[in-house]
Amino acid sequence: MSERAPAAPIDLKAEVRRAFAPNANAANDAGATTSDLSIDEELNLHSIGWEPVELVSGVSLFSIPYGSWNWGQGEIATASVAHERAFRGAITRLHHEAARAGGHGVVGVHIERVVHATHVEVALVGTAVRPVGAKTISFDAVFVSDLSARDFTLLMIAGWEPLGLATGASFVFAPRRSMGTVLQQQTQNVELTNFTEAMYSARESAMERMQRAALDLHGTGVVEVKVVEGPTRFAMHAVGFVAWGTVVRLAKAEHQMIQPMMVVPLNDAKVDFDAATLA
Amino acid sequence: MAGPTSDLPEAAQRRLTSGAFSSGLSVSDFAACLEMGLEPVGLVQGFCAMQVANYAMGGYTMGGFAQGMTPAGAQGGYVQNYQCPHGMISAEHRMWGQNYQQTWIESAWRDGFNSAYRRMIEEAQALGAHGVLGVVDSVAPLSDTGVVEYHLTGTAVTILDGPAATSDVWSTYLAGQRLAKVFEAGYAPVSIIAAVASIRVWASCVTEYLMEGTNFGWSNTGEPTEIDQIVSAQTNARDIARARARANLHGDALHGASLEVATREFSRGDLQIESRLRGNRIRRFKDFDPLAVPKPTVRLS
Repeated sequence: MSERAPAAPIDLKAEVRRAFAPNANAANDAGATTSDLSIDEELNLHSIGWEPVELVSGVSLFSIPYGSWNWGQGEIATASVAHERAFRGAITRLHHEAARAGGHGVVGVHIERVVHATHVEVALVGTAVRPVGAKTISFDAVFVSDLSARDFTLLMIAGWEPLGLATGASFVFAPRRSMGTVLQQQTQNVELTNFTEAMYSARESAMERMQRAALDLHGTGVVEVKVVEGPTRFAMHAVGFVAWGTVVRLAKAEHQMIQPMMVVPLNDAKVDFDAATLA
Repeated sequence: MAGPTSDLPEAAQRRLTSGAFSSGLSVSDFAACLEMGLEPVGLVQGFCAMQVANYAMGGYTMGGFAQGMTPAGAQGGYVQNYQCPHGMISAEHRMWGQNYQQTWIESAWRDGFNSAYRRMIEEAQALGAHGVLGVVDSVAPLSDTGVVEYHLTGTAVTILDGPAATSDVWSTYLAGQRLAKVFEAGYAPVSIIAAVASIRVWASCVTEYLMEGTNFGWSNTGEPTEIDQIVSAQTNARDIARARARANLHGDALHGASLEVATREFSRGDLQIESRLRGNRIRRFKDFDPLAVPKPTVRLS
């Protein structure tokens, strides 16, 4: 990363003519790359000296054993474990693909995650990136992040680095209410503490797992944490809480203040008028 | 102009050579287009209706194939067999499973898409255009008899004060400011790229039990277990589409790619996994100009 003066405005018409001139394309020596990044994202990466290398993906499906959702007590450990292993399996495959392609990390990972009664599916797609022209690094050193290329750029400018994806999931049974309690509560507005407590229990387990995963990656925190919570559609007596985000740590001696510039748009305010005044 | 092999209808050729220009661009994309020195000359389109061959009539759900065999159309593609670990249980027990690439479906898709693409480009050639931008494609069932319609549309443009148009017409899904930034970044559009992979899964007994959560005593030890057959099918569906797109790049870059995967279940344990990868093939015509590190801003409003 280096501070450079902004380039002079480009003559677009001349650039287009140059692009299709008979002897154009002389600079095409970098080899084929594939990416799902937009041109803005690629320019963002380029501004900090990084480049896209390859579109990579990772998939995993883990079974949830029969009978796991039958009403019981406490955590549905098999479902939580299946979720964690499916995520880990997909991330590992993404790691391998990125390392093979010469990437130092994967940014903008799209996460598709479906929990069925009988299995968990996780599919990840992202773009492997590396510092321009950098050599291949070991599989272990490759990071996976669901941050967009823009957010990755901002993070790096601020002196931080992504280390990987951390996830945590927990599925918990809401304890049964006794028939007496049901009859007693039927005509009242009343909090169903069995569900509230089940949600808190799932939340604590899932968040704890995600934060422990962050520590395992030697991170100091998790950014852009996404949370999905609520009852499972095939087992309304169970609640689930899933959290994931990108693990980060300070790469420089201290946080770099980005000092954003304040801007005031000078666009005209929207002008509204009453059609009746046109008469 | 359209060459001797053109299959453009005569009426289309007449319309394209006279009258006002048409375009599928929004007003802002139109403005950006003129800013780049690109002049819209016509809305160009290509259509193709394809029927997908039905291999192995009577055994289309795969249950009719013998172990280790694949439909004739699947020869040469990805095939993986899964053996039952239990031995002979009953006639209903799935003694084997198989993943195989439905190469004939991929071939139909490729033929349909490429024909529609070629027809769109022929219209652009008839207009003397240099390129087609803002391409929109759609692939949809035309009827419920296995007929699929491929439709591509875009805006043909000429380069003001540019070299004479040739038969080598470029194309891109991009338009407007996004396309302008591509030129600014030192890339020239070459063509749109679309690739598809189709994998059929005939689940083995273990895969079926793991997917459906039944007979767990036959499938595992009660622990969450990775479902290898489906993982392999899903992974290969993505890998094949990416390899195919890469094979069409010839050293160029694929930019703004979109990888979509759809799974369809025909019957119990009989799945089709289809992946589609689309994007813009672009070619570098100059090195990146040095860029300043972006300045973060906060909008006060």
